Formats: sequence, C-alpha cells, structure tokens
Amino acid sequence: MIEEKLSTHKSTAEKFIEAANRKKILAQKCLKCGHLMLETVFFCEKCAGNKFEQVDLEGSGIVVTYTIQAVVPEGFEDVGSYAWVVFKLDNAPLRASGLLPGIKTPADLPIGTKVRVAGYDPKHGLMLQK
Amino acid sequence: MTTNKVCLLGAGSTKYGKLNESIIEIALNAAKDAVESAGITPKEIQAGYISNVFGVADKQVHMAPVIMSNLGIPYVPGLTIESACGSGSVMFREAYANVAAGFYDCVLALGVEKVTHTGTARSTTLFSYCSDFFYEGGNGASFPGLFASMARAYMTTHKATEEDLAHVAVKNHENGLMNPKAHVHKKITVDDVLKSPVVASPLKLLDCCPFSDGASGAILCSEEFAKKSGRPYIEVIGSGRGASPASVQGREDITTIPSTVAAARQAYKMAGVSPKDIDFAEVHDCFTIAEIIDIEDLGFFPKGKAAHAVRDGATRLNGEIPINPSGGLKSKGHPIGATGVGQVAEVFEQFTGKAGERTVPNSEIALTHNFGATGASAAVHIFKKVDKK
Repeated sequence: MIEEKLSTHKSTAEKFIEAANRKKILAQKCLKCGHLMLETVFFCEKCAGNKFEQVDLEGSGIVVTYTIQAVVPEGFEDVGSYAWVVFKLDNAPLRASGLLPGIKTPADLPIGTKVRVAGYDPKHGLMLQK
Repeated sequence: MTTNKVCLLGAGSTKYGKLNESIIEIALNAAKDAVESAGITPKEIQAGYISNVFGVADKQVHMAPVIMSNLGIPYVPGLTIESACGSGSVMFREAYANVAAGFYDCVLALGVEKVTHTGTARSTTLFSYCSDFFYEGGNGASFPGLFASMARAYMTTHKATEEDLAHVAVKNHENGLMNPKAHVHKKITVDDVLKSPVVASPLKLLDCCPFSDGASGAILCSEEFAKKSGRPYIEVIGSGRGASPASVQGREDITTIPSTVAAARQAYKMAGVSPKDIDFAEVHDCFTIAEIIDIEDLGFFPKGKAAHAVRDGATRLNGEIPINPSGGLKSKGHPIGATGVGQVAEVFEQFTGKAGERTVPNSEIALTHNFGATGASAAVHIFKKVDKK
C-alpha cells in the first residue's frame, strides 16, 4: 500500500488561526501599493500586484454591527447566548468578525463597544471578548 | 454588442411549501407546467438550464441530465448552476444569454429545491454554507444572523425601527393570501411580527422567509420562435449581473448591496428605462430588511427612505410601486434554487392575465431581482408586456 503524505505546507487558514491564538488578525499587505486585505488573495484588488507579505494586526477594535443568535447553526448549541460581531480594527482600515459569548440583550453590546480577539476555538471559530 | 431579442413564451411553478415528492419529481412538475404554458413539446427544447443548491440533501447532484432524461429528451444538453439563493436568476441570465447570442432558439430555465425534510437545524446549517464560511458560518453566524447584522447597521444609520421592518412582512403576507401557490397563507399584523420569537436579534420569526421546497420553470426563446408560436409572450428587455465582497465584514457600507446596484444599473441601461418606468417588481425579501435595502438599491426610493415608504403603503398592490405582488419570498416561499425563476413566473402570470386578484392593473414593464447569500451575487431582469393586436 502506498501511503500518501499530507502536504506539510501551512495553509493561510492555519496561519490566520495561529495569529488569532496570539490575539492578532492576520492580513495580507500588497508589496506594490500597501493595500491591506483579510481574504487570501492572489492579486491585489487595488493594483493587481501579486506579491504580498503577511502582517499581524492588533486584534482590537470597535463593534460596527452584530446579531444575538437565538436559533444557532449545528455545533453552536453549547456556547450559550452569544453575539456574532463585525468589528472595525483599531489600527487598520479593515473589519473582521467573530463570536462574542455572554451577550444576552442589545443592552450588553452598544454599537461602538470595544472588543478584542481572545483566540480561535476549533469548534466555534474566532472568539472575541470585551 | 449586438444580441438577439429574447422572449418568455411560458412559465410554471409547483406550489411552494413542504412537498413530499423527490427533488426530481418536483422539478419535472414545474417543467411540465412551463412546457404546457408555452404550448410546445419538450422536443422543441434545445438546451436545459437547471438551478439548484442542496440537491445532495435529497441524494441527487448532476441534476440537469436526470431532468432532461425524464422529460424524454436525454440527448438535449443540460447544465446545472448554483449561486446560493440567487441560483434561479443567475441561471436565468445564462439561459437568456445563450438565446440572445443565437446559440439556441428555445431553452428551458428550471429551478428546484428540496430542504424541508432535513429539519430546521440542519437547514440552518446547510444555508450557513452559502456564507463566506471561514469568517461567518464558521463563527456561529446563521443566515438570519447575517441579515440581522445588516438590519442593525441599517436601523442605526437610518433611524429605522423594528416596526418599520414588520410592515414589509405584513404587506407580503397580504399579497401571498391571493397566491394559491404560496407557502404561507396567513394574514399577520405588525404586532404579530413584533411578538414572534426572536431568531437572530433584531430579526424575529415573522421577519424571516420560510424554508421551502418547490420548483419553477420558464421557456425562453427567440422573437421569431415566439411569433411563430402564435401564443402570448413577453419580452426580456434588460438583464444585469453584479457582485459584492462575499463576506459582510468585507463591505465598506453594510446598508447597501453593491451587486444589486450594479445589476440594476446594467439592466436599466439595456432596457432603456429608469426606476420610475417600472410598474411592479419582484425583489429578494429573504428577510424584511432585505426588501428595504433592495428597493433603495434598485432606485425606487432614496437611501434611508424605504422603511418609511413601506410604512406609508407605497409598496402595496395599490401603491406607487407595488413590490412582491406574489407575496415574495416571505409569503410565497423561498425554495432557493427556484426563487429567481419563480419571480419570472409571477411576471408571466401578471402579463398574461393569470394573476387573478393580485394583478397589478395596467402594468407593462416589470423587474425581477434576486441575490445569492448576503448579496455576494445578484441578477436583475426587466420584462415588457407584448401586446398582440
């Protein structure tokens, strides 16, 4: 039997998760024009440049919008009451999103509230905290 | 670019709702309706375009050849297209483009979905796969949750209220009562909406469309084919496609959907009309907030004004621009692979005297708008009634 070895190349998703566990947000910076993007891209959306460096951005920001999920997708039943949050990063013109546990009513999370990355949960994704 | 005129010769739908038949049988029922409505036989169909998202949930992918075989035309090429909740309109656009380009004289555009047998929890999860999953579904956002985040952004920016959103649901349920094929036949009040259980705040159960099974089909053909048929037909005068960043976090303004704006601009330009020329529109109201954003992005109301216009009755059947006379996704239902074609079927019924008491009087130009996911992809089509004298 020929055993096929899994590629040891680290995917961008794995690097994003590693950064989240350091409480950072991983972004791609175009080496040609400096444009920052979260998504894994092969060409810059601004200048079509094709060389990037990965940069760790401080994982803190303010809440732009959110929802408090009452009916949750499968696998999130054990989180308790939580919000899915879109937040604007403090030190970059980018928005990111993640799960903020413990939010029960809109009074718990006014727009503009400061949040930061707490880590990455293999089951529940990018975790935030206030 | 020179293209040929494209006409709609027939259209048909199954009832939308919880259906017992297999996904293939549901599709075939709508195809049969569409073929009979056009007064043709399947032998005249030169290609089939099939839209579907979750065929795998009913153990059938590669659906087009199965459908073509069951229509008795196994040697006619078919193509299956997926674009989340916008699959139907995106597929319709491909069918349109192939006739416009002269590749075919007569094609079937057929959308189908079957998900209700999987249950609410599984369906919620399946739909979340239509998001940019790594950033959205994978972090606990359901589709109601994604639109709820858009609703909160809109309400914060434009001072709209949950009550404003509720008026969309009330109006669409009112229209749906007049549509025998609608999934939900229930008159509701603003109070009913506000008191319904929260799904993802600020959206409540009655702000959300149902999970539906169903299929819709349309027969598209060249003008020459339509004229030779001697039957009533309508003309497709505008077609546009647009795209947006796949994730909500990737959009600079969460209160607008760029794909809708782009698709509408193209369709209006091609048709040589403006929003004020549209007599009624079928738009993508998967959630009440979606209809509010749609009718601004389509140019019917200025940004930030639609919520109040809906409250004032401007979008009712007798309003200045009737929106979703069929009942929309909210009441007619949302079998996601079929929805975009279902909107076209509604236009066909309206323009051929088959819409009964929900008929928009004296209408001659209509628009359909349908998008996938939170608007990552969208298509807009504009239709013109052809008077046969």
